[in-house]
Amino acid sequence: MARSYLFIPANEPRMLQNAYVFDADAIILDLEDSVAIEEKHEARHLAKSFLKDYPKDTARTYVRINTQADWLERDLACLQDLDFEGIVLPKMTLKMWETYEKTALKQGFHKPVIGIVETPEAFFELDAIASIEQIEGLILGAEDLVSGMEAKRTLEGHEILYARSMVRMACAKHHILAIDTPWTNLEEAHLQKDITHAITLGFEGKCAIHPNQVPVINEAFAPSKATIDFALRVMKKYEETSSMRFSLDGQMVDKPVLQRAEDTLKKARFYGLLKEDRS
Amino acid sequence: MDKPIMTGSLESSDCLITLYETDTPIIEVDTIVHDAFHDHILHLIKDVLKHYDLEHLSVRIQDKGALDYAIKARLKAAIEIYEDDSNG
Repeated sequence: MARSYLFIPANEPRMLQNAYVFDADAIILDLEDSVAIEEKHEARHLAKSFLKDYPKDTARTYVRINTQADWLERDLACLQDLDFEGIVLPKMTLKMWETYEKTALKQGFHKPVIGIVETPEAFFELDAIASIEQIEGLILGAEDLVSGMEAKRTLEGHEILYARSMVRMACAKHHILAIDTPWTNLEEAHLQKDITHAITLGFEGKCAIHPNQVPVINEAFAPSKATIDFALRVMKKYEETSSMRFSLDGQMVDKPVLQRAEDTLKKARFYGLLKEDRS
Repeated sequence: MDKPIMTGSLESSDCLITLYETDTPIIEVDTIVHDAFHDHILHLIKDVLKHYDLEHLSVRIQDKGALDYAIKARLKAAIEIYEDDSNG
């Protein structure tokens, strides 16, 4: 579980050694888009050395690899036997998975994978992608998707509403992580609005492309105090009545509301927001 | 080796490594933290060269405050280019 996934270019030591100070729940060392072609070789060495020698933090650590066959092979080869959570595989489609799986099997590489769905093609096979056993979660990659659709990315997000909903539903069906697309405008109010769209649909976390986005994302994706308090009262009344159906504050509480209250408290505990002695 | 191999950069927290051949191998350490880390960096470079059995090569490092993992990564990247070139 993570609220923020911060991309860190793997060819920049200044960013790498500060990767864990921004309080992101997860970091993604990037070997792909943020690394120039002529720097791929050195970026692999830096990522490897960082994962091997740099003190690990509590943040989950992922590596976004390249998809071009020979680069993919070199990326996985350099990541062998290193301690990190998993791979982030861009341009995820069933065909891409086939290429990845073949290379990973050949190298004996076993790690969970978060796929980035960012091509129109992916949305016609989303259910099958989300059902792959090694897939731990999906990231919506809106920037590339919108380019592929020849559409325009807007603050309102109408152009990605269908894609967002599809990703959320596929992830819910297969009980995997639903991670929202990065927002590339660095203005905080715009980020807040984009986060609201994602939270409304049930996304559990969001990618960050700048450290300044991390606290905003962390706060937004954590349950609010009011939500936690309501969940605590729901659970307390449930324990008192032993009934799956009762009213609280004029609202009917039944199984789905109880489930949401349990989920809220689970998240609140995970993010250290719940004092067990609260009532 | 036709020409020196260079890896890394002169950005803050990074280092620029130059790997080259000379009749007598030398290691030049030019660092912004000379007093505290000159010897440490020198030993780090010697260890990596020894590990690859390449102590006959010369290295110049222009260090801008890189940590050990970055220095090792930059040097290993240069060595891999050297080995690829050597193997044709």
